[in-house]
Amino acid sequence: MLEAVLRRLGAALITLILATGVVFLVIRAVPGDAIGEMLGQSAGDPAAEAALRTFFGLDRPIWSQYLAWAGDLLRGDLGISMRQGMPVAGIVFDAFLVTLEIGLATLAFAILLGVPLGLAAGARPGGIADMAVEGFTLIGLSAPVFWTGMVLLILADAWLGWAPPLVYTPPDISLSDNLEGILLPVLALGLLQAAAYAQFTRQQSAALLRQDFVRAAAARGLPWRVVFGRHVLRNIAIPLVTYAGLILVQILGGVVVVETLFGIPGLGRTLLAAVQGRDYPVLQGALLLSVVVALLVNLLIDLAYALIDPRVRGA
Amino acid sequence: MPYPMIDRRTALLAGAALLGTRPALAQAAADALYGPDDAGARRGGTLTVAIANEPPNLDPFHQAGDARTAVTVLMYQGLMYEHASGTAKPLLAETMAVSDDGLTYTFALRRGVRFHTGQPMTAADVKYSYDYVRNPSNGSPGAADFGAIAGIETPDDHTVVIRLSEPNASLPMTLTNRFGCVVPRDTFANPQARTRLSQQSVGTGPFMLQEFRPQSHIRMARFANYWQSGQPYLDGILFSVQPNAASVLVALRSRRVDLALLARPQDAEQLQGQAGLAINAAPSLRQCSLDLDCNHAQLRDPRVRRAIALSIDKHAVMQAAIGGKGKVLGTIPAAMQESWGAPIDTLPNQRPDAARARALLAEAGLADGFAMDLVSIIGFEWMDPAAVTIAQQLAPLGIRLNIQRVELGVWLNAFRTRNMRFTFNDWGTQPDPHILYYRHFHGAPRGADFRNWNNAEADRLLDAGMATPDPAKRKEAYVAFQRVMDESVPTVMLYSPDLVTVAQARVRNYVQHPTGWWFGLAKAWIAA
Repeated sequence: MLEAVLRRLGAALITLILATGVVFLVIRAVPGDAIGEMLGQSAGDPAAEAALRTFFGLDRPIWSQYLAWAGDLLRGDLGISMRQGMPVAGIVFDAFLVTLEIGLATLAFAILLGVPLGLAAGARPGGIADMAVEGFTLIGLSAPVFWTGMVLLILADAWLGWAPPLVYTPPDISLSDNLEGILLPVLALGLLQAAAYAQFTRQQSAALLRQDFVRAAAARGLPWRVVFGRHVLRNIAIPLVTYAGLILVQILGGVVVVETLFGIPGLGRTLLAAVQGRDYPVLQGALLLSVVVALLVNLLIDLAYALIDPRVRGA
Repeated sequence: MPYPMIDRRTALLAGAALLGTRPALAQAAADALYGPDDAGARRGGTLTVAIANEPPNLDPFHQAGDARTAVTVLMYQGLMYEHASGTAKPLLAETMAVSDDGLTYTFALRRGVRFHTGQPMTAADVKYSYDYVRNPSNGSPGAADFGAIAGIETPDDHTVVIRLSEPNASLPMTLTNRFGCVVPRDTFANPQARTRLSQQSVGTGPFMLQEFRPQSHIRMARFANYWQSGQPYLDGILFSVQPNAASVLVALRSRRVDLALLARPQDAEQLQGQAGLAINAAPSLRQCSLDLDCNHAQLRDPRVRRAIALSIDKHAVMQAAIGGKGKVLGTIPAAMQESWGAPIDTLPNQRPDAARARALLAEAGLADGFAMDLVSIIGFEWMDPAAVTIAQQLAPLGIRLNIQRVELGVWLNAFRTRNMRFTFNDWGTQPDPHILYYRHFHGAPRGADFRNWNNAEADRLLDAGMATPDPAKRKEAYVAFQRVMDESVPTVMLYSPDLVTVAQARVRNYVQHPTGWWFGLAKAWIAA
């Protein structure tokens, strides 16, 4: 087990190094740099431009910039944002906490809504519940998050005269203000993911119901409750956990849409602003963090298997 | 017009004039810094302002963008103030004296001014700040504007003498609040200065920075030791960064914000009749324009450029782009037309004239027309409908436009490297013709000539306008310059979108400055 984890960590490290290198090269291949935004239409003074380029180290060759960045990284320093002048570690970490909160809340919502719906549908394929859930998944999966968010925003305004607070409040300052702020974003993202979850759960449980051991259990005269609870539920737990990991990574990646729509200062918007402003250090820091998070989530899923499935524990 | 086209200041002045009472009071209101004082103002409260355009940072020395200046004018001040009337008035200076040769400016500093750090402002701070900006190795986008300064002296703590290498009538306007801010000496000696400026303000302005959370908000608090006693009226301001124009409207309707400047002036229609919202439109110093790179393909021929100018119906473009909520331009932004503009009806190439346009193209040997890219910038909503309209307007001439949308960073890169081609542009200015024209249109190295215009006559007139201290003669030079521009067409200024502010009824005494910056909040207050 330990060896497997170590091997995975080693592979993850190599992925990480490759990813940072690619990001470093690709973003610099895009025309324009942070100085463009700084000078705007007041550009035109070559001396000032050269001075800024030297200040940010943009006058050095790319490999030298990369080595300097990697060297700082090893010392735990992600550098200073070119646009904001603030340390990248702080910017990226603050933003990530916001995104993580929304991601976890969305995942919880999706599981709490999607799994029961999927189970209800899967228990009696073709039944009324199944058809209703199928309708829900169809709508949930086909409505773009941006659209869902807009509609929620408009409906809340029109029906309740309510709009989300203007400024995102971290939960440690005021939990109620925080929840008020993330309610609509979580709903908008969560409906899609709950639909996906319901569909997945339904497929898994419907497939299991056709398996021989389930039919055998039913044939032995076990009550439906026991067949479903002991044989079906336990066996779909593993794919459901895998799916949770996949969905979490997907949510963290797709959250930029709701962050933009609802003005939430998360990692997605930070990344977007960094791309637009060519803020290389922030971009590299944020992508580095995203890669680390994706790798960690995968690792955690593997560990979770071991907890749920005795067969994996022995391997 | 569905909403009043008179701004508050004009209304106030007109009111005083009509009644024939106390014109001195009206004059005082017009001269007042940032807006009229209000003896009946109620103190206290925090005003919430929605902004759609977020500043990357709050460093008044290293960030050219309007989004930065719009908010830093409340925290940092220059020696002078860019008054809405178009003249520079003393701000941190008390008086300004100019020598006869126009080369020496002597400023007596205002007494009792303190920085947000607590220390008193002296002449040494002014010298430090301006020496910092004008030294190109410090990388300030304002360096070029300060290029005429040869030296700064401080005979005593309250006097600053600025010597120029050549006369420059725009110096007072240069020392205003965009790049002319005064900070404590040695601010940038601290290696953490850039980080610090996003966390605390070090200016002399009426508000100090409390918190800056990128992608979210900026909080400012009243500066207790502000030099103008009794000001400002507000305890604080919360600038909330809104992700898009629609969310600004929602926030206004749900009363989550007190005040907003609409990014799309036509959105005012959607708020019409909403109880408790006051909508106000004022002319701006911004311009939406079409730039012609005079070193690009067929645009090298001035006849082709003039033919394009003669084919564009600016009213139709403005209608399509912003629902007509603006002013059509000639050769200068709307808020400067009266003070510095060549009268539009005296310019021969400002109205569509299909016959002349066709003749010019034929003369240039392009009777059959040609194909060209028209560059529009992603994220600037007005450009897409404007592009379609202009493509239609140029089609009868045989000019086939292919609309190319580019990302802002890519566009800025092309702009900076003088590779603009045929493109839309959207930019603002302070109310001075030298600041407006010189960098954009004067040949290198003194100007940046972004459009590769390379026009000696234009350069000569711009130099004359800069060197002439007499306002009437200055205007003559700039009007002559505008005639050259009208004839040779390095740019087609389309329109200035109105500055449409929307405020809840409880917001009082807010006057919108034509730059679009938030000066007016220094005099605004909240009714109980």
